[in-house]
Amino acid sequence: MQQQEIHNFLLKYFQANECPIIENHSGHLTVQLTIELDKELMNRPFYWHYLERTGGIPNPMKLTLITDKNTAPEKLRGEIIHFGSPRLHQIFESTKNLSKYIRLYEHHPNGSRQTPLYPWLCMNVKISYQCDRKRDIYKSIGLQLINGRMVEDFHDQLLKIPLTPKIPDYSFTLSPLVKPISGMKRIENYLRMAIEEEDHSWADEARKRWEKDLQLLDHFYEDTEEENESYLIEKQALKEQYEPKINISFINGGLFYLTERAI
Amino acid sequence: MTVDIHFDSSWQDDFLHKIDHDGPWGNWELFKLAIDIEKQLVIPEFEGLQAPKHLPNLTPLPHQLETAKQVIENMNGKAILADEVGLGKTIEAGLILKEYMIRGLVKKVLILVPASLVTQWAQELNNKFYIPAITQRKSYVWEQADVVVSSIDTAKRNPHRDIIYQQNYDLIIIDEAHKLKNNKTKNYEFVQNLKKKFCLLLTATPIQNRIEEIFNLVSLLKPGHLGSQTAFYEKYKRDARSLNGDEHLKELVNKVMIRNRRADTGIEWTKRHVETIPIEFSPSEKELYDAINDLKSAGDWIQASSFSVMTLQREACSSREAVFYTLKNMLQKHENPTQAYEDQIAFLIKKVEAVQTNSKAEKALELIQQMNDKVIIFTEYRATQLYLQWFLKQHGISSVPFRGGFKRGKKDWMRQLFQNNMQVLIATEAGGEGINLQFCHHIINFDLPWNPMRLEQRIGRIHRLGQEQDVKIYNFAIKNTVEEHILKLLYEKIDLFEKVIGELDDILTKLEFGNLEDHLIDIFGKSRSEGEMRIKMENLSSMIEFAQNMKEEGNSRAAAGNS
Repeated sequence: MQQQEIHNFLLKYFQANECPIIENHSGHLTVQLTIELDKELMNRPFYWHYLERTGGIPNPMKLTLITDKNTAPEKLRGEIIHFGSPRLHQIFESTKNLSKYIRLYEHHPNGSRQTPLYPWLCMNVKISYQCDRKRDIYKSIGLQLINGRMVEDFHDQLLKIPLTPKIPDYSFTLSPLVKPISGMKRIENYLRMAIEEEDHSWADEARKRWEKDLQLLDHFYEDTEEENESYLIEKQALKEQYEPKINISFINGGLFYLTERAI
Repeated sequence: MTVDIHFDSSWQDDFLHKIDHDGPWGNWELFKLAIDIEKQLVIPEFEGLQAPKHLPNLTPLPHQLETAKQVIENMNGKAILADEVGLGKTIEAGLILKEYMIRGLVKKVLILVPASLVTQWAQELNNKFYIPAITQRKSYVWEQADVVVSSIDTAKRNPHRDIIYQQNYDLIIIDEAHKLKNNKTKNYEFVQNLKKKFCLLLTATPIQNRIEEIFNLVSLLKPGHLGSQTAFYEKYKRDARSLNGDEHLKELVNKVMIRNRRADTGIEWTKRHVETIPIEFSPSEKELYDAINDLKSAGDWIQASSFSVMTLQREACSSREAVFYTLKNMLQKHENPTQAYEDQIAFLIKKVEAVQTNSKAEKALELIQQMNDKVIIFTEYRATQLYLQWFLKQHGISSVPFRGGFKRGKKDWMRQLFQNNMQVLIATEAGGEGINLQFCHHIINFDLPWNPMRLEQRIGRIHRLGQEQDVKIYNFAIKNTVEEHILKLLYEKIDLFEKVIGELDDILTKLEFGNLEDHLIDIFGKSRSEGEMRIKMENLSSMIEFAQNMKEEGNSRAAAGNS
């Protein structure tokens, strides 16, 4: 992520959370936090607890973030933000936490004609392949809950469609034939099948490394008669180090009601 | 073979709950941002380092990056990092830790370091690597914090020990790991029973050790890598120093160890200027020294070994205070001293009292006043340290003391005082380890250790990455004493001071004759005449030279095969 991208990201994050932007220059950003965001980011539970108990006037903080030291005013006091800074990663986490579930409707241009909207289930996931090393990929899957059509890169397609949180006038939603709970099961099965088709030589390699270390370990403890505690600890540690596994975790998702030909 | 697939379904219930209760629903802008971030944060490749992208303010050196990559990709996260002193092992360990954390392979981390380095480690991890490392101060920290830095001596004691054993560590880092060379110590046993997925052992002096010590260190990291204990000792003699002699063993060790040398890094190092300063005893100092020297021929009055006499002699070259302290101890420890023994000690104490000046201290004062710059004085003796502090104070020079026994906070404080307020830091041997003082570039060796590696560690405190100026080292030696012999033999003859680090421990391992110090004690303590002493010394130094030549030849041969 370039510094400029980081700056834009921060700006969007605070705008989406309805924080007044006090200053926005190319190298820095000052925002007035809302009460909610102060609680989310500033880590001062005692202040808020105290305030709520005494009924005082809340005074959420201002936050100045510097995204480019060279163009920001020299004497400006603020936090320098770069790709590795803990503050940025905290805001990343917050972004994800605040938008785990969503429901949106297509803002279609059909005027006063009655328009049916079809329900889609969207799941954005991260698939992690893990042994003593790790890689992950991101996938976005959409499932139409009437006819069961499954679509990849669903999120990218959604970006092309105007969406709104309120159902537009003269529109009605069709009831799903596939219930969300079985829709999720279908997506899960789809992902599992796709993964099983993949080449898993990485896992075989990891198992070989595991087996090799295990043999060494057995050899090391072969002179010891009784079950040795350190042996068991080491053995377990090797399992944790090498055992290949795949984790599918959820980034976010939701229900989207779209016109018939939207996707 | 198929791989277990775990599907995190915890979010499903929440989702269904929201559908039933019609929200509350998230914000579309944030939803899109979350996906953007995730696309940035996923790491599609097993290989490669992500850490540098997260560390814009750190410029790791090429050998540090290469080491981090090696450890993760080829050594499965278990390695001995054995760079020569001052090449940045901490940076390498930090890079590896950061990489694992970014990739989500490591969360729970235990870092065990000497007490004097606890704060420094935590600070570096926080400031350079943005890793929220916590120094251990309360026993609940073990459970609550993810990354904890502690001294091994604290960690191994209860209640800490029991709590630590309950934790599942993803990564354990141990600094100054050569201290774990003996598998019968409590420290060794403690580390052996820790639950650890990945493990880094940091040491600058791995191959000065005997083969047994290598075995113990590797077995801690990867039990069985060098075979079982019985099998190993059937093959290799326990006290052999033949690591270099056995190519197969060397190769095995290299699979779990990375050792960068200064010479290979291509970094320009500042120079070392060494000056030997010969000093004359004052008459009363000389009398004390001679009186001690006479003890050797005084028959069996001291059951005590030649070792005590040696110690006294060396102390006499440092300060009368050091001699006095030892004499007092000798008297107290002896349960039924004979009259002769007491008389002898009393006689020596009289000689001590007769000494009124300290020739070395005066020389040191003169130097300090001339250079008008920060300087570290190293001495082996605490009594000398105290005396020097008092002596300098008498002449208007304030100094800070430093020694191993200080509590962590005090060490940090002393270091800071030295950096900001004081001209002189007086350190004893134990204080020499680990602390970084590269803002200073003068060292006075008030007396010399007999183990050259210890001397190297002294110099390594200031001659390391980050030192911008040439380093000046002043060695004090009293003429016509055991000290001068040592200096000539050990340090001048083999050019120790100008040598690059690493060459030295190579040379010492080539000498397959056990502990250098034992030889010196033998030479100076047990020789019955000056002549015998001279011959033995000649012997020793030609052995060292021989080893040195062997190494040079070996270098030209190994240049091609050593990668």
